[in-house]
Amino acid sequence: MRNSLSYSVAILLSLVLHIALVGALFVNWQPETERVMMQPQYIEAKLVELAPKKKTPAPKLKSKPKAPPKKPRVDLAKKKREEKKRLAKVAAQKKAAEKKRLEEERLKKAEQERQEQQRQEAERQRKESEFAEALAAEQALVNAREDEQAANSYRQLIQQRLSENWSRPPSARLGMETLIRIRLVPTGRVVGVTVLKSSGDSAFDRSVEQAALKAEQFVELQAMDPALFEKRFRQVDVAFSPEDLRL
Amino acid sequence: MIEENLSIWSLIANASLLVQGVMAILFIASVMSWVMIIQRGLYLRSAQRGFREFEDAFWSGVDLASLYTELTQKAKQQGGTDGIENVFRSGFREFNRLTQGDKADPDAVMEGADRAMRVALSREDEKLNISLPFLASVASVSPYIGLFGTVWGIMNSFRGLAMVQQATLATVAPGISEALIATAMGLFAAIPAVIAYNRYAALVEMTNSNYETFAEEFSSILHRQVHAH
Repeated sequence: MRNSLSYSVAILLSLVLHIALVGALFVNWQPETERVMMQPQYIEAKLVELAPKKKTPAPKLKSKPKAPPKKPRVDLAKKKREEKKRLAKVAAQKKAAEKKRLEEERLKKAEQERQEQQRQEAERQRKESEFAEALAAEQALVNAREDEQAANSYRQLIQQRLSENWSRPPSARLGMETLIRIRLVPTGRVVGVTVLKSSGDSAFDRSVEQAALKAEQFVELQAMDPALFEKRFRQVDVAFSPEDLRL
Repeated sequence: MIEENLSIWSLIANASLLVQGVMAILFIASVMSWVMIIQRGLYLRSAQRGFREFEDAFWSGVDLASLYTELTQKAKQQGGTDGIENVFRSGFREFNRLTQGDKADPDAVMEGADRAMRVALSREDEKLNISLPFLASVASVSPYIGLFGTVWGIMNSFRGLAMVQQATLATVAPGISEALIATAMGLFAAIPAVIAYNRYAALVEMTNSNYETFAEEFSSILHRQVHAH
């Protein structure tokens, strides 16, 4: 009798002990969820070439053909006076013509000079603007490359978050790939997910879609340049394929 | 990487059937060994206490016959006595029976009483030693059982690793972790059992030698009585 009593006490105590232990494990045993993500640090060097094309100025100098002077015809007629008069008239005429011609020539020359100057000025401006254009293009290229890098790192982040939130359906196999389009708002919140290209396995597609919905918000996107966001992350297409599967 | 829920429960739930079986065995072994530990602890403590109390009563100069009747009453009430009281009762009963006839041979009386006490002693020894072998086997075997579960689990997890092209730590780590739980459980069952076994073995030995010493002393008292006539 005393024995059976002590046995029941012992059984009770032992069970209580083990249940308490199991309960303690159940409550307290959680692995540290914080995972430190090491971002690879790299220094990128770029070769920026600022060498606009040098244009050789080619001022064309037009040689102006000179009009041959008219040779007055001297006629030794009988009427010397008349002749003389006529001669004088002709001479005056000639002189006037000569003068006019000279004047004209001077004007023409001035005009030509002015035009030449204008042309040179235009050429200079054109060169300058060309240089500026080249510079701008170069800058745009650099900017685009930087944007590309930033976009890639954000895209990688999204992909990583997807795979963190992804739960593997039993039908998932290596080599499957689903292209999804995630629509985002500037806070990084996911507002819509559509499958663009199915992997052929609807369960897998759904799981990827679910992963995107489960990620809910990509907080890191808030730090992004708004212009870049508008340009590339309003809608972002992500291809997802499982990495380390056992099958 | 897939976010794995690495709580100990999901690890146990995802373990292979054999490893789960090993874990179940170890858990049951642990529960049982704790039952034994507690029960034996209580029993041995009460045996020690009973011995001290009885010795106090015995050497207080009380009449042996009245002590005997008192103990018999107690036995009737509680459905039996334990430990040293049994040794005393069986020895004294045999002595009384043998000395009832006047022509009792003193040597025969002594021999009979001694034998009765020896029998009682060996009964008590048996009672003290109950379930100590179980504790000993849990102590020595459960680490091996746990190790077996671990080896099996790691074997499976490496076999899984062989199928993967990109072998990352994350593909093997959960498997190894779940396998190691078996070893942990084995040790968890074994360590208290080892401690308890060692402690209780020493206690049983001490109690036994106490009983034997008392039996010798009691035998010498009876010897004096039977030869004084």
